[in-house]
Amino acid sequence: MDLAFSEEQEMLWKSARDFLANKCPKTLVREMEEDEQGYSPELWKEMAELGWLGLPFPEKYEGGGFSFLDLIVLLEEMGRACLPGPFLSTVVLGGLPILEWGREEQKQYFLPKICKGEAILTLALTEPSARYDAASIRTSATPEGDDYLISGTKLFVPDAHIADWIICVTRTAETANPEEGITLFLVDAKSPGISTFVLRTIAGDKQCELTLEKVRVPRGNILGQLGQGWEMVKRIMEWAALAKSAEMVGGDQQVMEMTVNYAKERIQFDRPIGSFQIIQHYLADMSIDVDSARVSLYKAAWMLSEGLPCTNEISVIKGWISEAYRRVAAQAHQIHGAIGFTKDHDLELYFRRAKAGELFFGDADFHREVVAQQLGL
Amino acid sequence: MDFRFTEEEEAFRKEVRDFIQEVLQEVLPSDWQGVDPGPEEEAREEVYQLAVEIWRKLAAKGWIGLGWPKEYGGQEDLAKDWILKEELIYRGVPGMDMAVVQGDLILQFGTEEQKRRFIPPIAHGEVKYAIGMSEPNVGSELFALQLRAVEEADCFVLNGQKTWTTGFQHADWCVLYARTDPNAPKKSLGISVFLIDPKSPGITMRQITQMTGLAPFYEVFYDNVRVPKENLLGEKNGGRAIAMYAFGIERSYGLVVLHNARRYFEQLVQYCKETYTNGQPLAKDPVIRNRLAEMAIEIEVGRNLGDRLNWMTSQEILTVLPSCQIKVHGANVAQRVASLGMQILGPYGQLDEKSKWAKLGGRMKHTYLSSVALSMAGGTSEISRNIIAGRFGLGLPS
Ligand SMILES: Cc1cc2nc3c(=O)[nH]c(=O)nc-3n(C[C@H](O)[C@H](O)[C@H](O)COP(=O)(O)OP(=O)(O)OC[C@H]3O[C@@H](n4cnc5c(N)ncnc54)[C@H](O)[C@@H]3O)c2cc1C
Repeated sequence: MDLAFSEEQEMLWKSARDFLANKCPKTLVREMEEDEQGYSPELWKEMAELGWLGLPFPEKYEGGGFSFLDLIVLLEEMGRACLPGPFLSTVVLGGLPILEWGREEQKQYFLPKICKGEAILTLALTEPSARYDAASIRTSATPEGDDYLISGTKLFVPDAHIADWIICVTRTAETANPEEGITLFLVDAKSPGISTFVLRTIAGDKQCELTLEKVRVPRGNILGQLGQGWEMVKRIMEWAALAKSAEMVGGDQQVMEMTVNYAKERIQFDRPIGSFQIIQHYLADMSIDVDSARVSLYKAAWMLSEGLPCTNEISVIKGWISEAYRRVAAQAHQIHGAIGFTKDHDLELYFRRAKAGELFFGDADFHREVVAQQLGL
Repeated sequence: MDFRFTEEEEAFRKEVRDFIQEVLQEVLPSDWQGVDPGPEEEAREEVYQLAVEIWRKLAAKGWIGLGWPKEYGGQEDLAKDWILKEELIYRGVPGMDMAVVQGDLILQFGTEEQKRRFIPPIAHGEVKYAIGMSEPNVGSELFALQLRAVEEADCFVLNGQKTWTTGFQHADWCVLYARTDPNAPKKSLGISVFLIDPKSPGITMRQITQMTGLAPFYEVFYDNVRVPKENLLGEKNGGRAIAMYAFGIERSYGLVVLHNARRYFEQLVQYCKETYTNGQPLAKDPVIRNRLAEMAIEIEVGRNLGDRLNWMTSQEILTVLPSCQIKVHGANVAQRVASLGMQILGPYGQLDEKSKWAKLGGRMKHTYLSSVALSMAGGTSEISRNIIAGRFGLGLPS
């Protein structure tokens, strides 16, 4: 067994930490919460130049050829920095499905654009039921000549307002089994009939209401097989849950460190509050939450990178971090007292992101149910 | 033993409910979802204006300071005072001025002249109070406070800074804790309490935004502020006793918090009854039923603790222990209700109040953020636990 980072991974996290400390200060994070677009195009370009946007894609598509585990190392740093923008949407929700199921010409068209920062992508999955199940997919795609017409409402679609392309999960057939008859389309976001509306959310991230009214999409834009989409969605959801877990672990770690430092500095009753046993116990519990989450994250990501079945491991980490990050952030607030309750303090950024992260691609209940199923219950 | 309220108390509860019905129909907007007492009221100007209107109505009923002695406009009826608070807070009606309890301090420690001067305007619903305890370097350890008050011939001169002073912008008076003797043998023995006018020359303030986005509290700077001697509350250097009394009052704040959380909880239960997934209401889902039941039990247990606290207060039994218990429990309940609510609302929970997709008026998101403060404001849960463990509680050695 060897649980250490490879040399490349060491370099990746160090350079990512330096770069983000420089280029993604909390002033930018806050500005982007209020910003219409929610990301900095200059920063996006620099990330492309660093090779981040192409990290997991093969070199023949101008990517870096790194593994999912490597991607996780980067995402962790992004979570620590609260990096705003469509990285996860573009690379994980958009790029990876194209790499996995795209036809060669689709890969050649999309992947180099993603790597170079020339295309923002996302996935439109959830609908007003706000559930991650197949029966909730009501958005319809009906054939008309060589095209399909897509109509419906998607909700909580990340970054749809700035996306160039949207992978849209649609229903192409009504069958008794709701998991059949689902098809994924690559939809040009500028197509007539599409409108997006940015929802105002707890973390100030950009999730959208996406309305599609008879949006015309050529048959050739189907991703994967007609009617076989749900199996793909299940895989994408696993990747997304794992990627989000990495961001959450990074944020969790940062909250922990900030709080340890504060407990060492803040003096009450003539001593640092960190010298009170109760505060020490809180911090001890927090460190257990953080460290147990990180190793579980790496295990799941390693298994995925090795091509091993890891549905269970992914739900274990997402189920765990969803609770642990929330718990740690809340405890950090308690230890900070009133200063942490202010808008100007960094802590509140993490508290809000912990909640948003929990909701993204399945909360703890959702993943506990997966674990229960894996247990054969 | 008898847990019942008296017939008179029940009749009063009904009167209060009728009053609330009237207020809901005549004063508050028809889609009223309720607000939190205290900071939220102070921070949202439109709500504050409603609060002032309702506050005047309460005064007209003679319902402010129900527990006070008759000669100062009260009815010496603590049970009624509590029933009123409980009902107003539970229904999220603004105007239940949290700072009225500062009147208790004046009645307990003030001179006869001060009582006659300061109490009637409170009872008439004409003045608001703020509390100036915390400083940048002083939170839990109030007795380390540094804001300096120096006695001169005709007044005290104040220099220093307070922070987190809630509602300072609306306040007519601030109960201010200051250091009058920097050389006292113990930190706690050099403190005095003043009633200061926030409009005095030399006072400046800076608004601070909370993580909820609301901005009810202020940093307040005192630069050579002159306070007349008749505004000293209690003895010079006698602030310790006043502070201890004030802590006691603040901790029963836990019960306020609990009753406020009940409203959110009941809205959540209603939501679960009305919201269908897969053809059945959420309320039929075994996991959700289980969690709601778990929460309901926590609330009910807290109400029982609260009834005991109020009964003990009315019997003049020392309430340090139960008030600290309810402070911890109330904050826990409020945070758990918010957390459960967010969980049940799922992705909808994160939406802003103004979103057309928001459920329960977006209030669950508000309370999810605002309840973070409830285990700090009015004394942290850890300090409460220390006190539970200590001399007036479990008697553990320090
Ligand atoms: C919404 C809100 C409104 C407020 N309104 C007012 C107001 O109107 N006027 C006013 O004066 N103040 C107000 N406050 C301030 C409030 O009284 C303080 O937040 C509180 O006393 C705690 O102080 P602190 O925040 O500085 O935390 P600190 O005292 O710095 O505590 C930080 C952490 O250390 C812990 N700790 C400290 N000492 C000990 C110990 N001995 N043992 C174990 N743990 C310990 C605390 O429990 C906490 O977890 C308000 C606060 C909030 C959040």
